[in-house]
Amino acid sequence: MANLWRVYLRVFLTFAANSLVRDMSFRANFLIQCISSTSWAVMNLGFYLIIFVHVDEIGPQTGWGKYEFFVFLGTTWIVNSLVQTLFMPNMHEFSELIRTGNLDFALLKPIDTQFLISFQRIEWSSLANALLGVVVVAVGMHQLMTRPEHPLPLSAVTIALYLFYILCGVTILYSLMISLASTSIWLGRNQTLYDFWFYITNFSRYPMEMYRHGWGVVLWGFFTFVVPVLLVINIPARVLARPLYPDPSVAWPLAAFTLVATVGSLIVSRAIFCRAIGSYRSASS
Amino acid sequence: MPDEPIIEIRQLTKTYRVYQKPEGLWASVRGLVRRRYREVRAVRGIDLTVEKGEFVAFLGPNGAGKTTTLKLLSGVISPTSGTARVMGYIPWKRENAYRRRFALVMGQKNQLWWDLPAQESFRLHRHIYGLDEAAFESARDELTELLGVRHLLQQPVRELSLGERMKMELIAALLHRPEVLFLDEPTIGLDVVAQHNIQEFLREYQRSRGITILLTSHYMKDVSALCQRLVIIASGGIHYDGSLSGIIDTFSKHKIVTLLFAEGSFPHAAERVLAPYGEVKEVQPPRIKLRVERTKVAETLSALLARYSLDDVSVEDLPLEDVIAQVFEHVDHQEEARVG
Repeated sequence: MANLWRVYLRVFLTFAANSLVRDMSFRANFLIQCISSTSWAVMNLGFYLIIFVHVDEIGPQTGWGKYEFFVFLGTTWIVNSLVQTLFMPNMHEFSELIRTGNLDFALLKPIDTQFLISFQRIEWSSLANALLGVVVVAVGMHQLMTRPEHPLPLSAVTIALYLFYILCGVTILYSLMISLASTSIWLGRNQTLYDFWFYITNFSRYPMEMYRHGWGVVLWGFFTFVVPVLLVINIPARVLARPLYPDPSVAWPLAAFTLVATVGSLIVSRAIFCRAIGSYRSASS
Repeated sequence: MPDEPIIEIRQLTKTYRVYQKPEGLWASVRGLVRRRYREVRAVRGIDLTVEKGEFVAFLGPNGAGKTTTLKLLSGVISPTSGTARVMGYIPWKRENAYRRRFALVMGQKNQLWWDLPAQESFRLHRHIYGLDEAAFESARDELTELLGVRHLLQQPVRELSLGERMKMELIAALLHRPEVLFLDEPTIGLDVVAQHNIQEFLREYQRSRGITILLTSHYMKDVSALCQRLVIIASGGIHYDGSLSGIIDTFSKHKIVTLLFAEGSFPHAAERVLAPYGEVKEVQPPRIKLRVERTKVAETLSALLARYSLDDVSVEDLPLEDVIAQVFEHVDHQEEARVG
């Protein structure tokens, strides 16, 4: 068993190293990618700073003030950047492998196929945004912890929980992505992957209080219980920044449910993946 | 107890449903709602048994089902019906234990990392197959030595020639020392020298390791250089299974007789004069080639020798290409007769 883990870890590290070597051999491309993604992030930050010129918090009595939102925004960047670094190129590649029939090779290897196609490429340049995210979260947290009224406490446990829920978020997004990419096996081609991805994850980028009223509740329900993207950033960001809503009576069940949602997403996506691979028909020689 | 055959295929069938795209815009729009499919029977109830250590060639025209058969045996795709066992495993169950013991090389596809030196891909294989350092290095060194590509290990794959890349692909596939090797057109698109190198390598490697190889190819040279056993697949079925010489006995009813006339004895109007002896294939004074029925070769030769003064005579089988083409044609006619 320990041996098996070692095999997977070694393969993962080799993927990581090979990707780095490859990225480095196209240095200019690497730098441009870092710069373009970080400048997008900075513009994003500027946009929210403008919003906070006009309002004190997002939604009345939600507790999402400027620095709480900094934490939320930074978390968004961290999660998205991790997904982009680890999975985005792989899922795109997966669709291509299916279309061109090159998935054949993955199926020949004595290692879990899902693991193999999920981690083959690591796009190191996308990690720049995660670093930026850490900075923004740190700035936000510093402000919240040093404010004169009710300075926010921060413990090691909180940080551990935060990291854990980030992991859950990344896992949920990964599950969604691989489920979408798997459909290429039946569709032959799935170029709408990126579009669809953008539509769905758009809902994860804002505090869930947005959906508190009217028909927003329906959206809230759908994106919490059916396609749980709303939990991806909201839960870790809440663990750190502690806005007012939801109160503890809701917060803990929500946090517990996130665990269920993470495990559930993984199981469902694994099932979809296995079915897809079962009906793979390869392409002409 | 005799050894179990290493590969055993029974009534293996693979049917694809292919969407028929109608012509024209309106028809395409209708096609969105109601699609018409056609059943393509890529492999139709094949039976085949291969013993350990055999080197078998699959020969057949494009679309005959050769590649599909190899993909079924590698477990890349699942069959519609029928069974197959390779070393006791059912391939499409995709067990790791099975996947550790065979390899598939496809001449038309590459699995090496395009932007990295082949060495890095080899290292990755080492970890995927869980090979220990010593076994990996000895296999790699032996293979690069045999194929003469040691100096290219550090070069990015995209900067290798097609022949060099194919050699690297072979090495990647053999690092884990598979007992069964499936080769799908490994020499496609290569120049004569590279083809020859790879043939030499395969022959040597197969002989020294005693592994079992199934090879598909369009090149008769590959087949005649390497395989003791030939399986002709056309229209998804097996039409011949036997030795290389056997196919000539079975399908070739003719031989090529080449006559070299002595000086001054080359006949006038040679084509007309020699027609009664056989079909005149080529007239290049002082040489003439005749296609003669196999059963009449002796009789024809003695008649010719009695009549003409000849410096040299040779009798050869038809080129393998021609024989195989005849077999394929034969199959086509059968198909037409069946469908019609």
